[in-house]
Amino acid sequence: MPYDHSPSPVAPTASSRLWTAGASGGVAILVMAVLAVMKPELAGWLAAGAVAVALATWLVNRNPPAAADEMEFDQGAVDLGPDAALLGDVFEALDDPLLIVSGGEADDIAGRRIALANAAARDLFRLNGAGGGLLVSVLREPRVLEAVDEALFGAVGTEVDYVGGGVQERHWRAFVRPLPARENSNWGGGALALLALRDETDVRRMEKMRVDFLANASHELRTPLASLSGFIETLKGHARDDPKARDKFLDIMAVQADRMRRLVADLLSLSRIELNEHIAPLGRVNLARATADVVDAVSVISRERQVTIHAELPHGGAAVTGDRDEIAQVVQNLIDNALKYSSAGGTIEVGIEIDRTLDEAMAARMAEGNRLSLATPDRETGQRYAVVTVRDHGPGMAREHLPRLTERFYRVEGQKSGERQGTGLGLAIVRHIIIRHRGGLSVDSAPGCGAIFAACFPLAPAPDA
Amino acid sequence: MNQHTVKAYGDELNQLTAEVVRMGGLAEAQVADAIESVARRDVALAKAVVERDNRLDALHRDIEKKAIRLIALRQPVASDLRRTLGAMKLASDLERTGDLAKNIAKRALILAEAEPMQPLTRSIERMGRLVSNRLRDVLDAYTASEIERALSVWQTDDEVDEHYNALFRELLTYMMGDPRTITACTHLLFMAKNLERIGDHATNIAETVHYEITGEEMLGERPKAVPGPGEEPTPTPHLSASPDAADD
Repeated sequence: MPYDHSPSPVAPTASSRLWTAGASGGVAILVMAVLAVMKPELAGWLAAGAVAVALATWLVNRNPPAAADEMEFDQGAVDLGPDAALLGDVFEALDDPLLIVSGGEADDIAGRRIALANAAARDLFRLNGAGGGLLVSVLREPRVLEAVDEALFGAVGTEVDYVGGGVQERHWRAFVRPLPARENSNWGGGALALLALRDETDVRRMEKMRVDFLANASHELRTPLASLSGFIETLKGHARDDPKARDKFLDIMAVQADRMRRLVADLLSLSRIELNEHIAPLGRVNLARATADVVDAVSVISRERQVTIHAELPHGGAAVTGDRDEIAQVVQNLIDNALKYSSAGGTIEVGIEIDRTLDEAMAARMAEGNRLSLATPDRETGQRYAVVTVRDHGPGMAREHLPRLTERFYRVEGQKSGERQGTGLGLAIVRHIIIRHRGGLSVDSAPGCGAIFAACFPLAPAPDA
Repeated sequence: MNQHTVKAYGDELNQLTAEVVRMGGLAEAQVADAIESVARRDVALAKAVVERDNRLDALHRDIEKKAIRLIALRQPVASDLRRTLGAMKLASDLERTGDLAKNIAKRALILAEAEPMQPLTRSIERMGRLVSNRLRDVLDAYTASEIERALSVWQTDDEVDEHYNALFRELLTYMMGDPRTITACTHLLFMAKNLERIGDHATNIAETVHYEITGEEMLGERPKAVPGPGEEPTPTPHLSASPDAADD
């Protein structure tokens, strides 16, 4: 599906209206029957009346429009016959968000109201009813509003591209079309316009990914490539007959080639994650289990570097909504990072906190340090989070470095990350995965005090019993 | 709002709110377009931003006029009065935001003539996106009367300050490294300052939204970043100190 699915309460009010129609018919017939018993001389007339009421009730029920939308749709339509309900269903079922906007007065912005919205539009804009709200309260983009005005009062259809907000940017194309005016309507006036939105995020992202990948790859591969060709030249030249120098150069070249390989792999995975950023993952992952697996996997390297990893994981586990591999990569990158900045004999603490609100999840964790949020999800009321924290006791970072940590290829000046150089993409990847998961990332650090990275993921809803 | 006995009164109030939201949308678009014109060196877009600013000014005047009319004719009290005053306050914050966006666009016009400075404009873009998100959040909070969302914008004001300080350092490094970049870097620095100001206006709006809903001032200290090396403790007239581009 091209858009997020957030549950939106849609009340099928029309069915209750139908029920009342049937019930009142029944009551009328009952009253007539009682009257007939009491006054036998009128029985003939009353029987005829009861038959008429029953017939009318049956007629109303015969063609049941299922939801409120179609009832309203019916009101405007002149004569669509039995197909009106079908058209209503089609309108409702279309994947693209559709709004029908009523005009009101030309100079009154509060006159632009949503007369009708299909399910996709209600989902997107979190609307509760089928219509009635102000258009500006769901869509502020001035060019779209202008286009709607043009369609309403100038009868001109236009298309507008705009970028929708949110942590995950969405590119929309809005098609605005004038509709023939309806005289008999509760929509405050005659003029109507159709506003159809189409999600073009995928196309745009593909384009951007290609451009970004080329730019990043060419820029970052240039340095190791230059050094490789330099060594090759030396090996072909005066180091040709020097076995000792040759071995040394070949070792350096192997390291550089390895770095280039990792760089390409990281760039590719970053592009892939960015491409999917607007599609929230749907799986169910045990965060504690994923973390334990990663800790096991890195234990070889940590032992080699004489760093102890303390992991305190809850026994019950922590079920979050997400993609298992990507969540494992977040934990992996955070622990790798902590390892890089830990000296021999140091410790790394990994912990998991469950059932936190967003504010608790993003709160400061170091009394004397500086806290900064590197990614904050859109606020959703009632959403709880599980947090995985990774603490190292390395050199730490000053406040001014914190905002730039998740930038690609950003390096804190004057810090060595050890012999196994990173690609400079680790935290950028972490951030993008977290944004895709609608989670948050924050860092606490101070020079000399190490750093705490905290990544939070939305808790998965309890499985249906 | 539907309890008003006189229907037109409620309509007028709703119209005022709707006008403010529309103005907010326009201001948002101005900020986003201004940032994009910097990032893509898009001269046409920058010119469009500069031209569109007078529409914001007109909306501002219009909202103020309507609010004054409403106060004079209907004498609103309690929450209605707060809504009316809130609309006026928001309108002036948004108008100011538009001015700052216009200033960014003007500087983008000048920068487009100089050599491209990729990494720096990227930093501006990043900060700009952060500020636009805050503006969007706070306007969403206003349209939906969501106090929680407004509070979260108010509480995270230090993020913008952090970005500003980081950018300040980055720019200084560039200027020290290559004095030929000083002109361009100075423009970028003012852009960053303008963005930081826009962030402050978003915080102001959050305060107004809080006041409008609860009738109480926001109490407590706003989280503040440690001032960077270039930050004077006292406010300085940043805009007037800039070269000719800042003549708004």
